[in-house]
Amino acid sequence: MEDLDFAIRYPFSSAAKNALDGRGTQLNESIIYLACARIRNGLRGEAAKSSALHESDKINEIASFAAARMMLSYLRNSFITNKFAVAESKRASGYLDKEDWETVELVGRELGLSAEKGPGALLVPIPTYLKFSPRALPYKLINRELRNGRVLVSQREFVRLMEEAVRKRLERTPVLRDPPAMITDAAKKLVAELPKADLPQVRVKPGDYPPCLVKLLESVKKHQNLNHQARWYLCVYLMAAGKSDEEITGLYSNLPDFSERITKYQVEHARKKGYSVPACATVTTWGFCCADCRIGSPLYWRGKGGGKA
Amino acid sequence: MSGAEAALARFRKYYENADFDIPLIEQREFGIGNRKKIDSRHLSFASAADLRSYLVSNTPLFVSYSTAYYRYPDATPMQKKSWEGADLVFDLDIHAEGKYGAYALLEQVKGDARRLMDLLKDDFGISGKDIFINFSGNRGYHVHVRDKSYQEAGSDERKEIVDYVMGVGLDYRTFFERDGLKPDVKITHGPRPEEPGYRGRFARSVVFAPEKERKAIHRGFGKAEAWDRFVAGIRAGNWNCHPFKTVDELLARLAPTASTLGLGSVNTDAGVTQDLSKLIRVPDSIHGDTGLIAKRVPDLERFEPLRDAVIRSGGSLGVRFIEDVPQLVFMGESLGPFKKGEEKELPEPAALFYVLKGSAAPL
Repeated sequence: MEDLDFAIRYPFSSAAKNALDGRGTQLNESIIYLACARIRNGLRGEAAKSSALHESDKINEIASFAAARMMLSYLRNSFITNKFAVAESKRASGYLDKEDWETVELVGRELGLSAEKGPGALLVPIPTYLKFSPRALPYKLINRELRNGRVLVSQREFVRLMEEAVRKRLERTPVLRDPPAMITDAAKKLVAELPKADLPQVRVKPGDYPPCLVKLLESVKKHQNLNHQARWYLCVYLMAAGKSDEEITGLYSNLPDFSERITKYQVEHARKKGYSVPACATVTTWGFCCADCRIGSPLYWRGKGGGKA
Repeated sequence: MSGAEAALARFRKYYENADFDIPLIEQREFGIGNRKKIDSRHLSFASAADLRSYLVSNTPLFVSYSTAYYRYPDATPMQKKSWEGADLVFDLDIHAEGKYGAYALLEQVKGDARRLMDLLKDDFGISGKDIFINFSGNRGYHVHVRDKSYQEAGSDERKEIVDYVMGVGLDYRTFFERDGLKPDVKITHGPRPEEPGYRGRFARSVVFAPEKERKAIHRGFGKAEAWDRFVAGIRAGNWNCHPFKTVDELLARLAPTASTLGLGSVNTDAGVTQDLSKLIRVPDSIHGDTGLIAKRVPDLERFEPLRDAVIRSGGSLGVRFIEDVPQLVFMGESLGPFKKGEEKELPEPAALFYVLKGSAAPL
């Protein structure tokens, strides 16, 4: 018998698909109910761990993931989808952190991630590493040890790459032909219950900001996740540009892992500390520079009346 | 005959017998230029023979191809081309004063090319048979990597690679681990010469530092005994055999070593590597600003651009200089300096070189 608990932990795996296909699982009210809960959890930045005991509950839970994906495909709302992707990827890495290497390796292969065991570290091929490494300073290639085409990582870091792989996979929603009425009805209801945006948003006029900032702002608007440095840079810059804490928090509400409480704290903290905007050299080091403005500091952009890109 | 006409006639003759080696030519977009480097793009050719016959009948000053492979290379707009991957390319260039300053410095670019090859092979595990170097036709070299595992890398991923190659954000101080936070504590772990990557390169640059460099680190290192003790320590991973009072002093004094000798990073144009739809000079085509061939370079050490990338021809051409031109070694012979207004009969390749650079006009 296949391992249903494995499929529950990793509902994106082929084991999960096989478990459903093998039983000819059909959509039912409980699956839809669980799927909606899954998406709602995602919107809150949470993902519940499984508590199912009986086989039928387990199957429903596995199927709820697939049903949630179908609803997201139908909705084509990148905000909800990306929130879901972040929450589910964190759920998976929460489980993976406690697994033995064989299981991690198995799930990794499903995600297109492979590693060899080297002495004291795992060796990941560079192209694979680049595809799935988070855009954060400790993961920048320059800060890694490379050995003949492979990057040295710890098992924990490998799991972090897998989390990215899950997130990226879930951010792409499959095209859905003729979704069942149960799916479309539930999806419509779900959207109707969402609160309308009530936080003030930062308005961006073209030419107002240097290209690196514009790129970050565009990412935020597309509900893409940003790393800590990016959020910090954006926040500090917007403060220097005279934006209020509320405006900045409002902007960050677009991020898929937004938490109002944490964001407010961080923004207020940054304001209290009075951080200054980093120089272009620092921004380049962080990997955000995307144009050769030659202005020394992103702040000088504003004096240039649009400047040159 | 105008300068451009004379050049194009010469180019046409070259293209009649030009030997191109362009893998997956049918999947690449081409661009040609006369007024600019690229006036029109979105061209495609099914074979090298097709490209050759096009260049013979419509000879341009510049011809470029995409580093990317497309399903429909001639489709417009770009999104319809259906991108299927791209070579990993590096543009190594030298910028110097004046129109002719760069040519004396091309040897320096070879240093970058050599370091890049080392990095690509040792750190990125790319086989030498997948790395192709060609002269850019003017002020540097292009390196094309055709390793399949890197072809699908996106722009962000290529940025990571080029940042690594350029050493952006690299701090040699992070190579050292220390015990405690006080400035005078010992280094517990430092890089060893045999380590891979930047750590090893840095350790090797210190171990093999020339005498002048050693003295710059510490005057005491002028004495062989003190230096040997320091180096023997480093080889064993122990960086504590030094005459400085604190570790911080040692690390501070190593900074110039890190910046001049040491890390083996490469100066390259990051924008070119990151651009997924970059058009770059076709290897073995002619650069219209110089009349030099963007020649494939199988042996970098022996290659001399102003000798080996010249289109050979027996003829000569009379020109009048329209500006002062400094002395230059071209095809193994010293030419110039020339004064504005001077008239001179020169070997055809040299004459065309000055004409295309806008320094002379044919008589």
